[in-house]
Amino acid sequence: MSALAVPRAAGAPAAAPQIAIEGLSKAFRRRDGTLHAALSEIALDVAEGEFVSILGPSGCGKSTLLYIVGGFVAPSAGAVRVGGAPVTGPGPDRGPVFQEFALFPWKTVLGNVAYGLRAQGVPRREAEARARALVAQVGLSGFEAFYPKELSGGMKQRVALARTLAYDPAILLMDEPFGALDAHTRTRLQNDLLALWERDRKTVLFVTHGVDEAVFLSDRVVVMTRSPGRIRAVVDIDLPRPRHRAELLLNPRYQRHVIALEGMLEDGDGPRPGGRP
Amino acid sequence: MRRLPAGLPPLLALAGLLAAWEVASRFLALDGLPSVPATLAALPDLVADPDFARNLLASLRRMATGFCLALALALPAGLAMGRSRTVAALLNPLTMMVYPVPKAALMPLIMLWLGVGDLAKTLVIVLGVSLPVLYHAYQGARAVEEKMLWSAAAMGLSGPARAARVVLPAALPEILVGCRTGIVLALITMATSEMIARQSGIGAVLFNALDLAQYETVYAIILVIGALGVGLDVLFEGARARLVGWAGPPPALAPASA
Repeated sequence: MSALAVPRAAGAPAAAPQIAIEGLSKAFRRRDGTLHAALSEIALDVAEGEFVSILGPSGCGKSTLLYIVGGFVAPSAGAVRVGGAPVTGPGPDRGPVFQEFALFPWKTVLGNVAYGLRAQGVPRREAEARARALVAQVGLSGFEAFYPKELSGGMKQRVALARTLAYDPAILLMDEPFGALDAHTRTRLQNDLLALWERDRKTVLFVTHGVDEAVFLSDRVVVMTRSPGRIRAVVDIDLPRPRHRAELLLNPRYQRHVIALEGMLEDGDGPRPGGRP
Repeated sequence: MRRLPAGLPPLLALAGLLAAWEVASRFLALDGLPSVPATLAALPDLVADPDFARNLLASLRRMATGFCLALALALPAGLAMGRSRTVAALLNPLTMMVYPVPKAALMPLIMLWLGVGDLAKTLVIVLGVSLPVLYHAYQGARAVEEKMLWSAAAMGLSGPARAARVVLPAALPEILVGCRTGIVLALITMATSEMIARQSGIGAVLFNALDLAQYETVYAIILVIGALGVGLDVLFEGARARLVGWAGPPPALAPASA
């Protein structure tokens, strides 16, 4: 276990962090009544405008961590502060984007994107005008009147992203957003997300099990171990921006990051003494 | 294989049924089974009779009242069951116990408490409609994707707002499956309750005609009830297509028991 000792709040930036996670643990009760430790002693600070990926094998609790930051799930111990205030529930300062898209199927593309604005009392015409602009930004002009069931997976995720951007959250919480898409679509969405982010510089917490994706997008990558989920390492991705995929693939530093992170994931994936296989 | 034009298969099935009926009435020579032409001949007189129209309207009024009351009670209860484990644990065993009880068979008991008037008949209809609506609202609300609700919560929608603006529309296709079964059950409980307590209504007219051995009238009324069922279903399907066209084609209707 000692080889996997966790560096505490590694890489914490000097300014007051926008997201401060301290001593966070989460245990679920199994059906047989025993406890399953999903997350243990997580400490992480994220600065405003930072793009941080949480990388780990499936079942390491990385999505649970994101849900706790979102206020959708309560922690068993520890706390999350956003902008200095403790998180007690969901709020429009933290906009989620889920792997499952979670679009409202009874609303059109435009209706989905305008939904958050309408919920916040923005008049219909204004909400729709802003929604139309966002639909254009994610490359879906002409599809405003389509229903979700008429769209491909990649298009659905574009709508979900636009729906969340519409109410302008300070923080984007992305839960394996491209995990359900084919490789080609995933690459295109990664490129578009990066272009959007380099323009807006919102704080992003991005959960993934894809090493390439994490290195390509992030300022920092948080590597997690499984059962219970702990932070194994925090890696600074010192690659210049704006990033272009073709240039990056030839960059030895990119290659070194990918190889190092893949090594860490493999180590963390095997059976560990005291842990479940 | 060429596809048959839409609308033709149901007509073919109807023609087949009428042919079988005609053959049976000619060759089996059963008492009380009139021929098809004799029955059809009885239809215009029946439909033109103002007394029959009055009874038909009384039936439809009770049916509509019962249906709306059942919706008002069962829909919120079913949605609450779908979103709260406590409410589900409380109501589910009760639902499963009451669902298979034939509601029309309760009519004599209910008549003992409430008399033979509108109240008892409407209550039987409410009981008949409530259970499928309750059950399907429960299933529909339970199946609502958690992350859809989270997305709405992040937008600032409160619990009650999420119930009204996310759970209800997301569960609507399933709720309408319950409503469709509910309409069939409303029709069945409406007719049977009137057969048992015969003040007014289409079921009362049917059984009075049966007592008088006016078999042509009996069968003509059965045709009217059947047409009513088809008509209500067509109206309902129109409404369904408008309300939940986003959800795709309707699931097949499971047979309902009264």
